[in-house]
Amino acid sequence: MRRGSIAQLVGIGLLAGGIATAMAVFLPWLPKPASREAGRIDFVFWFVVIICIVIFAIVAAAIVYSVTHFRAQPDDLSDGPPIHGHTGLEIVWTIIPTLLVTAIGIASAIVLSRDDALGKNVLRVNVTAQQFVWTFSYPSANNLTSATLVLPKDRSVLLTFTSKDVIHSFWVPEFGQKQDTVPGIHPTLHITPDRLGTFPVICTELCGLGHALMRTQTRVVTPAAFTKWLQTEAAAIASPNAGTAGGAVFANNGCGACHTLTAAKSTGKVGPDLDKLPAEAAQAKQPLATFIHDSIVDPNKYIQPGYLKNLMPQTFGSSLSKQQLDALVQYLIDSSKK
Amino acid sequence: MTATTHDHELTPRWRRYLLGAGWIRALWMFCLFGAIGFGLVVGFRWWGGWHPILNMSIITLVSLLVAAPIGFLAGIGAFDYWVYYALGGPTRPEDHSGHGARTWKDYFRVNTDHKVIGVQYLTTTIFFFFAGGLLALLVRAELARPGMQFFDTQTYNGLFSVHASLMIFLFVIPAFAGLANFVVPLMLGAPDMAFPRLNALSFWLLPIAGVMMLASFVVPGGAFACGWTGYVPLCSSHEPLGAVFFNQGVQWAGASSIMTALNFLVTIITMRAPGMTFWRMPLLVWANFTTSLLVVIATPFIAGSQFFSMFDHVMHTAFFDPAHGGYALGYQHIFWFYSHPAVYIMMLPGFGIMSEVISVFSRKPIFGYRLMALSLMAIVVLGFSVWAHHMFVSGMAPWLRVPMMVTTLLIAVPTGIKIFSWLATMWEGKLHFNTPMLFALGFLSMFVIGGLSGVMLGAVPIDIHVSDTYFIVAHIHYVLFGGSVFTIFAGIYYWFPKMTGHMYNERLGQLHFWLTFVGFNLTFFPMHIIGTEGMPRRVADYAPKFAGVNMFISIASFGLGASALVFLYNMITSWKNGPIAPSNPWRAMTLEWQVTSPPPIFNFDAIPQVVGSPYEYGVPGAQHAILAPAKTTELEEVPL
Repeated sequence: MRRGSIAQLVGIGLLAGGIATAMAVFLPWLPKPASREAGRIDFVFWFVVIICIVIFAIVAAAIVYSVTHFRAQPDDLSDGPPIHGHTGLEIVWTIIPTLLVTAIGIASAIVLSRDDALGKNVLRVNVTAQQFVWTFSYPSANNLTSATLVLPKDRSVLLTFTSKDVIHSFWVPEFGQKQDTVPGIHPTLHITPDRLGTFPVICTELCGLGHALMRTQTRVVTPAAFTKWLQTEAAAIASPNAGTAGGAVFANNGCGACHTLTAAKSTGKVGPDLDKLPAEAAQAKQPLATFIHDSIVDPNKYIQPGYLKNLMPQTFGSSLSKQQLDALVQYLIDSSKK
Repeated sequence: MTATTHDHELTPRWRRYLLGAGWIRALWMFCLFGAIGFGLVVGFRWWGGWHPILNMSIITLVSLLVAAPIGFLAGIGAFDYWVYYALGGPTRPEDHSGHGARTWKDYFRVNTDHKVIGVQYLTTTIFFFFAGGLLALLVRAELARPGMQFFDTQTYNGLFSVHASLMIFLFVIPAFAGLANFVVPLMLGAPDMAFPRLNALSFWLLPIAGVMMLASFVVPGGAFACGWTGYVPLCSSHEPLGAVFFNQGVQWAGASSIMTALNFLVTIITMRAPGMTFWRMPLLVWANFTTSLLVVIATPFIAGSQFFSMFDHVMHTAFFDPAHGGYALGYQHIFWFYSHPAVYIMMLPGFGIMSEVISVFSRKPIFGYRLMALSLMAIVVLGFSVWAHHMFVSGMAPWLRVPMMVTTLLIAVPTGIKIFSWLATMWEGKLHFNTPMLFALGFLSMFVIGGLSGVMLGAVPIDIHVSDTYFIVAHIHYVLFGGSVFTIFAGIYYWFPKMTGHMYNERLGQLHFWLTFVGFNLTFFPMHIIGTEGMPRRVADYAPKFAGVNMFISIASFGLGASALVFLYNMITSWKNGPIAPSNPWRAMTLEWQVTSPPPIFNFDAIPQVVGSPYEYGVPGAQHAILAPAKTTELEEVPL
């Protein structure tokens, strides 16, 4: 090969690599990390991206150079040189990729083991997933439950997952970590939040019709604020009408993910519109209170035309206390009659 | 023989129409078998005292999805020959009446000619490609803006589920089988496939599978809406009856796949022309040999997974239902034990097409022929040891992740060898940029991007962050569209003159390429970004911050959809009115180009004698095979 053509090849490669690098740098790729694990995941991501950019640049240079330099005239019926192979080259492009992927493998394995290593004073949180709602409970605080995940900054958190129906998946993009929740087993996930803020919790495994709406939030707060939050919540539960306010029951059990109810500012469209409950009860030829109660406890008893059977979880009859259930029914009667 | 002819003269016309193999018999036998299935279910339930006796889901399954299709196959004539022997009929000398196509009507009956079957396969799969593409455009229409616009969630989930199932099971896999069906026997110097009747049957199973998946849209409750992966327990216990249409559709398509693969294996092992050693086979033949190994070993696993999921759904067994002692992740392991090798089932035949096209249009021998063939074998072996990389976040045993990551990363090595060897094949060649070569170059660049994002996904920490996001959607489309579909287009343009006897329109072909290439990148590249940023896949509604990018993707996707119309127009008009194709328009050395376009009914007047490699471009006086009529008498001894 002449020196000029090598220079051209390198030039094209640098150009292609430069464009790819610019896209890597200037486009918004990963969210700003909010956990130590996400920071390490980002390291692996960029480490692999750099290797990928180099390989992409080499391939792009070879293709562009070939296309521009080896184009035959349409009437040129001659053949190229009969080169059948080159053992040295073939060894090179077997060994170098092997070394590169080995490096990627080692870096990944190290990061994986560090991401899984629990820190001191681990905070354990039980996460329950069901169509289409997340519930978080804190065993260290008398199994205090919450519909949003509140976590202290800079403390090792171990989430243990339970699914009541199908497979869901827990993901906070800013935390990087992700885990499917599988009925029958209880996988865990380790997160060490290191940035204050509020981030979305997203279900990423298709779990049915309300999948896109199966979302909540996580708040990372200072350790002091976390202790205070636990105390406030515990006090609220200890008070006489604890968590039995109908609106709270409605919010904590994720009803709004599927149902529209103006009073609760929810706009879900998976299940029937709760603003129209009186009309629906009339359609089912039942008194309003009985209709609401039965529809929560035994959803398949009456299916509003246009909606699917077996869609609403059949677990609320057992998971809600009698007071909570009564409060919820009263709340729905009051809200829908307005 | 004479007796049969005599009978035909005496049979009244209406009897021949009604009882002879064909569409009329297919129609009434479809109904008859459906009725038998219905009767069996109702009879058994009545006899056993099971209520309700009219259980619609069982009746649909047994009558409509199992019995009626068998009736259709029997009616169209797929079993005639075998039934005749099974009933003890006397030996009939083969009269080759089911062979070859003289009119267009011959494409609509059970035909045992591998060339006709190849064309049947391709036209059928292109039909489902357009159907699947239309579903994708509906998905993009809904996604153009956040919130719900056109569909309810059930319909939306059905759209993307059926889109993926059609594209995978009814387009990419069988389109490759169709191309290979036409080309492989010709390349081997064989008169046909080893089992022509089995070949015909494996084609006719396909439309059944496709119609079944599309028909799920009209089932009460809606189409199957649990994604093409059909994860349990969602698909087995929380889905309407449409889910069973997916379970069964996969069975029909899978059976077709297995039959074809067995046929290829036997054909390639036993029907090579004299002198065609394994090391003289074109790489397309190698590719289909290795693909067939994958199909035969892996496909029974997806059949198993779908049977058990269907039993859980319809018969209330609990194979995968944890509430009654089943194991939900068991489904995923069995499913991916097929579906990861399936990724290579959808890629290796494309590699074969690339080797043919790049060598011919570079006018150079393929670089490192033996390593190319060996890397195919390496992919087959490694391909069976990587399935759980689809399950890094699934909750499976954590220790399984690192070994699966290592094998996954290693599979990049043989794939890289192939890419570099193609680049070296082009180096210093005499490149001709006809449409097949353009698609080959498009494939090379797009597949490199898809392969590199695959390496990223192989690294467990990255996979944990991006799995089930749009990054995955981008990756699979770069691999299966930029990879497989581009090679299918390359193959169709490359062999179009051989199949139809007409040349396609070169300018329209190039227009098709550029529209597809640009539309493809504008559609799928931005998906990488919104995926890493936080947009999950399989959602109809999404966070408002992704609205701009999604609108852009949707507009680009409509352009991509429009590019397919250019292809369709080119194919139809060129087939009807294109200039007559010479035997060997590309000056290629492989055997299919040494016969007329289209080839004679039995391919070769005399079995060719293979004397050298199929890629000796630029070697003075080199020959791949000798097709000398003088040798005819000698070679007639070779058993067919």
